[in-house]
Amino acid sequence: MGKYVLKRLLYGAVSAVIVVLIVMVLIYSMLDRNKIFSGDPAYNHTASNGRTTYEYARWEAYGYVDYITYADYLRDQVKAGAMDAETQKAAAALGRTPEKDPELTAEYTARFREEYESQGYEVVRLDADVNKKGRVKDGGNPAMFAVKDVPLLQRAATYFTKMFQIDSIHYVPEETDIGERGLTFTLYDPVYGGEKFSPAIIGNGTKYKYQLYFDDQFPFIHQNMLTINLGESFTVNQGVDVFTTMTDTQGAYVLSSITYPTGVVMDRADDLHTATYVEGSKDSIAANAERFTDDYTNVRTTKGGLSRLGYSFVMGILSTIMAYVLGLPIGLMMARHKEGLLDKIGTVYIMFIIAVPSLAYIFLFKAIGTSLFGLPGVFDMESSSKLMYVLPVISLTLPSVANLMKWMRRYMIDQMNSDYVKFARSGGLTESEIFTKHIWKNAAIPITHGIPGSIIFAMTGAIITERVYVVPGAGNLLTTAINRYDNAVIVGVTLFYAVLSVVSIILGDVLMATVDPRISFTNKAR
Amino acid sequence: MENNYKKLGLSEAELFAFADHNDLESEKITAPRYSYWKSVFRVFFRKKVNVVILCLLVFMIAFAYIYPAVTHYDPFANLLDPDSKHLSPVAAIQYFGFDLKWILGAGASGEPTFDAIWNGSKISISLAFLCAAINMTIGVCLGAVWGFSKKIDAIMMFIYNVVGNVPVILIISVMAMLFAPTFWTMVFALTVIGWIGIAYFIRTQVVIIREREYNLASRCLGTSTVKIAMKNILPFMTSVIVTLLATELPSYISYEVFLSYIGMGMSEQSLGRMIYAAESAMVTPGWELEFWSPVAISAIITVVLYVVGQNLGDASDPRTHM
Repeated sequence: MGKYVLKRLLYGAVSAVIVVLIVMVLIYSMLDRNKIFSGDPAYNHTASNGRTTYEYARWEAYGYVDYITYADYLRDQVKAGAMDAETQKAAAALGRTPEKDPELTAEYTARFREEYESQGYEVVRLDADVNKKGRVKDGGNPAMFAVKDVPLLQRAATYFTKMFQIDSIHYVPEETDIGERGLTFTLYDPVYGGEKFSPAIIGNGTKYKYQLYFDDQFPFIHQNMLTINLGESFTVNQGVDVFTTMTDTQGAYVLSSITYPTGVVMDRADDLHTATYVEGSKDSIAANAERFTDDYTNVRTTKGGLSRLGYSFVMGILSTIMAYVLGLPIGLMMARHKEGLLDKIGTVYIMFIIAVPSLAYIFLFKAIGTSLFGLPGVFDMESSSKLMYVLPVISLTLPSVANLMKWMRRYMIDQMNSDYVKFARSGGLTESEIFTKHIWKNAAIPITHGIPGSIIFAMTGAIITERVYVVPGAGNLLTTAINRYDNAVIVGVTLFYAVLSVVSIILGDVLMATVDPRISFTNKAR
Repeated sequence: MENNYKKLGLSEAELFAFADHNDLESEKITAPRYSYWKSVFRVFFRKKVNVVILCLLVFMIAFAYIYPAVTHYDPFANLLDPDSKHLSPVAAIQYFGFDLKWILGAGASGEPTFDAIWNGSKISISLAFLCAAINMTIGVCLGAVWGFSKKIDAIMMFIYNVVGNVPVILIISVMAMLFAPTFWTMVFALTVIGWIGIAYFIRTQVVIIREREYNLASRCLGTSTVKIAMKNILPFMTSVIVTLLATELPSYISYEVFLSYIGMGMSEQSLGRMIYAAESAMVTPGWELEFWSPVAISAIITVVLYVVGQNLGDASDPRTHM
């Protein structure tokens, strides 16, 4: 069994990689990259050469191209120590045309051109855009840059290698002096004032200050040693990773009295356990200097609401439980009293759900719920009322309960004509015994296959329900990302979905094999 | 006793004539004359409710195609008339005078809602029929091959697992951005991977009946694979295919509504797009009809299509023909 599951996981991983490749081809190669400017107000304020450089800068940000300006190149030279700041300033002055370049500039532009053309970049030199009077137009300054399309395989390779990041004490550049690098283990977490017993591992030189710690949030023990990067968002949630976007808490700040490393106590929402390293941040911002003793100042904030995944999962799991609790017994009763009143009503209900567009019945139930029962029709994170969960959960339950009823009834009826049922009946068992002890057990086997999937996919959320009830869940992430051309988010979310679906199918098979000893995956018996 | 055969009105010679014995004839097994499709329709029309619903379906489809063609619907005819926007039925009839097209009031640009929903129905129904025709043809043919060949099965299962994980919304939006978001783009986007689910369903059905004893017997008697497919398997599949069609047809209308609602629909004024455009009208007192009319008509069309399809599927199962 273990070997089989491992093989399936491997196949699943391969198919997830292919899915990512397909999605990358779809969004990076097939889509017109000029589309990203359609909703960009800043784009219309650019003109001439300025527009061209703006386009390339945006394309780089969205991940289409590798784009290096001449100024970037000079800055790198200074950083590498091959040039001093004076020469940089002098060399940065481009002439209106290459012929008019000062000597120093000509020398460095030639070097720039040589270096990047040898790496396969296309080096572009834009002459100054001059009007009739001989003045440079708005945005018409000369420019020089090197540009290269990112090839698909390279993009995929970097994406997958960057996905799992293991924090190390060499994260902070070696030349930066931050004292002794290393991990220290403490039994008394300084975040709690250093008096309460709470073990933690604290790193110096790592990205995250707290590598391992305990707190009062589920699952109580947290680690920052291994982080998952699904891709950095650009427009949906700027600069934040997709995975963080899905798992970060939302809503209003929760203030509590926090003892900062310097000993200052303030009412803030900062979660000191999430501190990451930002070079020079302590001294450049006065507020940080007052609170922190080192450059680990970039902290996330504690917010009152759940994360996107959290809201979707809470609603999804509630509706899944309700669907199984309602759907299975009703399906069973429908099969038992076939052609009876319940069966007829149930069939009409199933038909209604299948045939009517989901949008229509969600709106219908929203209208009924808000006007007749006075339930809140809009989700509000700040409200403590649990009633606002009712309508979204119901509208999520409606289709899944119909689906379960349909299949449960089908499987039960299929089993009812089996020989073992006739045998049980001839043996004198009562009908309820036959149904609950024999038919039900056999009919439930195919149903168990779907259970892991419905639990796992509870977190991805539902697009329409979350839109209609304005739930800040994960369901709309993909559509929002598509509408805003946030390529990294599209890839990240797709990969997330693909992994979930692979895992849920495998878990379903495993569960089915556990429930039914006749099913075995080890010897191929199909 | 003597009089008995006289009652039959036949002469003695006729009654006791020798019958020819024919070896060929005696090999034939006689059964009542049975025509499959005749029986299907006999069973289908046996229920009076089916007749009513079928008439309703035919009427709705005919109305959706004929009415917009006759009335020449122009959504922007009253665009410049500021008093014609968002009128309730009563106000619209008062303003424009009584006409069939004003019985549901006027919409955001002064267009008659009644005309708009029928125009939208025409587009949505066309989309559903086109997509269903394309997907079912490709899906059934490929699914049959997929189910028959074990080699193809392994390859196709892998493709299915990969393609099944690519979000359909993504593919549709990429198509819509690649080409203009027109009717034909939508057809293309819904059919480019839409067939794979149908093919998978058919494949499972074929796998189930492929190994049945009667197929084994046919094969032992030397029947060709094509004949087994045509004579043994396809008739068994007819009711499955019709039932599948019954769920597929309305599902395209629902899906189009869903896509339009999330802002990825086509540019034509389909039912989904009307719902999307009128979403804000739902909560505005007096404007609700603009939202509920397209919702209601799409629900009615899908339900009617589904019921007719399901009952036709039931009727096409030979076991109900007794």
